[in-house]
Amino acid sequence: MTVVQTNAERPARLRPGLFERFSSMSKVDLLTRILVVAATLALLAYILLPVYWMVKSSFQTNGEIRALPPAWIPQDWTWQPYLNANRLIPLWRYVMNSLFVSGTAALLSTIIACSAAYVLGRFRFPGATLILGLILLTNLIPAITRVFPIYFFIQNLNLLNSYVGLIFAYVGFSLPFAVLMLRGYFETAAPAELEEAAMIDGCGHFEAFWRVILPVCLPGIAAVAIFTFLNAWNDFLWASLLLNQGEMKTIQVGIGDFAQEGGSVQYVNAYMAACVVATVPALVVFVFVQRWLVGGLTAGSVKT
Amino acid sequence: MTRQKYIFCYLMLAPALLVTAALGIYPMLYSLWMSFVEFDLLRVNQFGTPFVGIDNYLAVFADPRFVQTVLNTVLFTAFSVAGVLVFGLLLSQILNGKYRGRTALRMLVSVPWFVPPAVASAIWMWLLNTDRSPINFLLQDMGLITSNIRFLSDSTTWGPLSIPMFSIIAVRVWNGLPFAIIFILAALQSIPASLYEAAEVDGANLWQKFWYVTLPQLRPVLSILTLLLVIGGLGSFEINYIMTGGGPQNLTNIMAVYSYQQAFSFFRFDLASAASGVIFIMTGFISVFYLRSQFNKGTR
Repeated sequence: MTVVQTNAERPARLRPGLFERFSSMSKVDLLTRILVVAATLALLAYILLPVYWMVKSSFQTNGEIRALPPAWIPQDWTWQPYLNANRLIPLWRYVMNSLFVSGTAALLSTIIACSAAYVLGRFRFPGATLILGLILLTNLIPAITRVFPIYFFIQNLNLLNSYVGLIFAYVGFSLPFAVLMLRGYFETAAPAELEEAAMIDGCGHFEAFWRVILPVCLPGIAAVAIFTFLNAWNDFLWASLLLNQGEMKTIQVGIGDFAQEGGSVQYVNAYMAACVVATVPALVVFVFVQRWLVGGLTAGSVKT
Repeated sequence: MTRQKYIFCYLMLAPALLVTAALGIYPMLYSLWMSFVEFDLLRVNQFGTPFVGIDNYLAVFADPRFVQTVLNTVLFTAFSVAGVLVFGLLLSQILNGKYRGRTALRMLVSVPWFVPPAVASAIWMWLLNTDRSPINFLLQDMGLITSNIRFLSDSTTWGPLSIPMFSIIAVRVWNGLPFAIIFILAALQSIPASLYEAAEVDGANLWQKFWYVTLPQLRPVLSILTLLLVIGGLGSFEINYIMTGGGPQNLTNIMAVYSYQQAFSFFRFDLASAASGVIFIMTGFISVFYLRSQFNKGTR
């Protein structure tokens, strides 16, 4: 196909080349396109600059980070801030705390959510809609509206500043989300014929669920577990209330407190290094679940 | 057989129901109750928690700081939702095209998503540091400003708006944008190509195709997204709490932060609950609206 061909002669199915696309474009479209590209570049700068600035600052020396004007590219790359961060605050301990608390909470809430999501997605029974509505409502209404009673509740159980108390709160906090996501997943990934066949073979309801449905749905369940893990990992509000003492803090609260302990003034590079460390596990996990994002998110809307 | 099925259903639901009731529904109702009694932690041992009706609500609304906070919250939500929607629509259009490097671009754009809010606040605080912000140096080099912008501490106001408010909104939009993009992108991909072909036959330009084909097709998704973003915005806490703590001079205070401070700085759990009660009423209203639309969709 040559460039000189006019639009009318062009076979409809062939995709036009780049040059032709621009030359055949009306002036309005060309202008729109230029504006859109310019806006996109500006937005990309907005999205990436903070991340770049964090990573860059975490590799700069103490002297360099104080220099004016600020350097866009570090002159001598150094690991020192990472070592300093771990000296100034128990960084690795915080990361381990977070891993432990978020991991346990994710495991527990996924197990509880699995069984609930399955019956809510598969069976019709009195009260099903009401229960689903309540779960959705709990998922929607912001956490701040239930923070104080839960704080007293955990306090009365003598679980303030313990891992158990925080894990407990996280299970309650991520359960509705997990139920909604899994419910959507069970509906699409496991056709009802599957357990009908199993029940003809003599399985009970629970056996059909346990032996047939769960294994089929394992990838989705894993994705939901990872999501609930991420939710707990990212949380600041609950952790700052329920577990804010000494070495048991989660990494988010550790970073929040680091700001007051000189992180924002004296030790900015170490502070940024701590931020990188707090982001990397989420990043790794995120790369794994990226494929499930769309389905999982849209499953949150009820499809009765 | 049916009875057996019901028993199975309720047994499977029991743990989830217990957790939702104990850590979801009950605390919400308890919090509402706290907003109708006197609950001053420093006086509670001596005076208990007598019922005071709507006095707590009257008290918080008589506090000019709270009134300003409500206004701030509404503006914060409106601006951040608008920002997320406009930027999200634009970027998802770009990401929906077919060209090399699209996957890489998608990854780059979703970067802020896995930055935890506490970290997002920390890195933006450093990026917006008055004396060392690269943005200030860039603007000075271009000759647009003569003195550094105090992004988080300038208390000059234009009505309820101020520079710190816009900085906070920028961080919120930054953190929330990837979610919106992924959401819109999924919807964009389900628009049938034949609609665009038909528009092309009619001689529509890009802008008209967007306005008459894309937007109407996206409407259901955009309305759900807007509801979710508004609810999230009204209850937003971390960024404002960490970055400014509501300051300077209450300019960036929002309801969740006000509520938290009433409770854990002044031990007035009744006033805190009244403030969070206002959030509950606003978001509850929107949620019911949302639930109704969702359930209606199913029965149609």
